[in-house]
Amino acid sequence: MSEHPVIELRHVEKHFGELHVLKDINLSVARGEVVVVIGPSGSGKSTLCRTINRLETIDSGEIRIDGERIPREGKNLARLRSQIGMVFQSFNLFPHRTVLDNVTIAPVDVLRIPKKQAREEALRLLERVGVGDQARKVPAQLSGGQQQRAAIARALAMHPKAMLFDEPTSALDPEMIGEVLNVMTELAREGMTMLVVTHEMNFARRVASRVIFMENGSILEEGSPESFFTHPQTQRAQAFLQSIQDH
Amino acid sequence: MSKTKKPSIRDYLYEPPGPRTRTWIRVGTALALGLIAALVYAVIHQFAVTGQLKAKYWSFFSRWTTWRFIGQGLLTTVEVALTAAAITFAAGFLLMRGRLSRHAILWRLSAGLISFTRGVPTLLFIYFFFLVVPRTGVKLSAFWKIALPVAISACGVVAEAFRGGVNAVPRGQREAALSLGMTERRAFYRILFPQAFRYIIPTLIAELVIVLKDTTFAYIVSCADLMQNARVLISNYDALVSTYLVVAVIYILINYGLNRLSENLAGRESRRKTA
Ligand SMILES: Nc1ncnc2c1ncn2[C@@H]1O[C@H](COP(=O)(O)OP(=O)(O)OP(=O)(O)O)[C@@H](O)[C@H]1O
Ligand SMILES: [Mg+2]
Repeated sequence: MSEHPVIELRHVEKHFGELHVLKDINLSVARGEVVVVIGPSGSGKSTLCRTINRLETIDSGEIRIDGERIPREGKNLARLRSQIGMVFQSFNLFPHRTVLDNVTIAPVDVLRIPKKQAREEALRLLERVGVGDQARKVPAQLSGGQQQRAAIARALAMHPKAMLFDEPTSALDPEMIGEVLNVMTELAREGMTMLVVTHEMNFARRVASRVIFMENGSILEEGSPESFFTHPQTQRAQAFLQSIQDH
Repeated sequence: MSKTKKPSIRDYLYEPPGPRTRTWIRVGTALALGLIAALVYAVIHQFAVTGQLKAKYWSFFSRWTTWRFIGQGLLTTVEVALTAAAITFAAGFLLMRGRLSRHAILWRLSAGLISFTRGVPTLLFIYFFFLVVPRTGVKLSAFWKIALPVAISACGVVAEAFRGGVNAVPRGQREAALSLGMTERRAFYRILFPQAFRYIIPTLIAELVIVLKDTTFAYIVSCADLMQNARVLISNYDALVSTYLVVAVIYILINYGLNRLSENLAGRESRRKTA
């Protein structure tokens, strides 16, 4: 048992040119924790998420995965990235490959798992997220909800230590949101360490161990879902929750 | 598979025409066809008047040796074109990799070579290989004196076509590949380039047509390609118009074939994607 947080950010700063997008971000996610990040558009949630596997570089501060500092580049960076699953708003399945290939390609290429074994495991994972019967199709033939669930299976196939979700349901038709959230809830219950950017407040209430409220590049508030949703401390958080309820 | 007509790019770019537009299209088509027919008639008539249709200009085409000679030239043309195409595609690929590289020196060098080869006319490269290279003591056969310059002159355009295709692949594809632990290189070869290829095929085939046309400069270096052999026939039989007509038809047929190939490949790709 390691006592390191699975994900740890210390004094992380990030600029896009003049724009200060991440301001002294300190955050750690322990094993099995589900941290939900909420906040208004442009507050830096996606950027935060993407710095964790270095899809965005940072200006200063440090980021550790399971105690190990993220390398700047090369094979070691790739290895560390492979330990963190990422689920994108726009699914980003590989359109030129079948759903099954999407799930096996990285385990075979990166982890060097034998093809046959990778296929068996992929089918099990696809079954688990409820798209086992779609394995031989190409992504374009699946509904949005099915694609996103396949994308989750693809990330799980790498046996990640943690999963990052950046608004996984924002591109979905309302009737498909539930099926994706169900898969995520199931994952959380099985003990997966997760960092989830989402506007789904019910999911946050039910599943989050901790809620983080971001605005303008800073973490303004952090707490359990009960305390955050019932007694938000800052006026900004109160206003944000109000604005969401009005919708 | 359904037998319905596969949608072409036109169907995406334009609304289907209404009844009135369709009438106009029909009138326009009829007019254009009439005009072309008139033009063809005028040309043939003019040939007849100037005596170009006389038997002496055409009878040597009934000889087997004439066609063998044309066939040999055609074979050389195809060999030169395929060799030049293979070289230009390989060089174009390398230049594209350099152009997309993060190393400043590689990047600049590739960008410079791409602009240079795109900016200089093919003919200058041919003269370079014809006049300058031999003086350096390097001995090249006529075959390479035409294949190399044609390849060099096309490779910049090919590199840019490759780059355009790679850049057309959505950003998220690279990010998804990286997030799965692929290195940049693996992500490129496994995920980005196979997808880019779909966008690139039509340009590559268009470039193949240009390469084929450029090989007609082979006579400058005395490489016995289709064009050079045609010139021999012309001087032997004093039959300029008839020979050029036959040769033009051959070139048109080849390029038409290439265009059909391009359409077929593009069609198959789009069918596979939505299959
Ligand atoms: N590559 C980039 N270059 C420049 N500015 C960027 C870039 N990516 C994001 N930004 C800017 O950084 C800020 C934070 O963006 P980010 O995407 O992290 O916000 P977000 O909280 O995820 O918003 P949303 O809810 O709209 O997804 C925004 O102002 C955005 O315009
Ligand atoms: Mg975002």
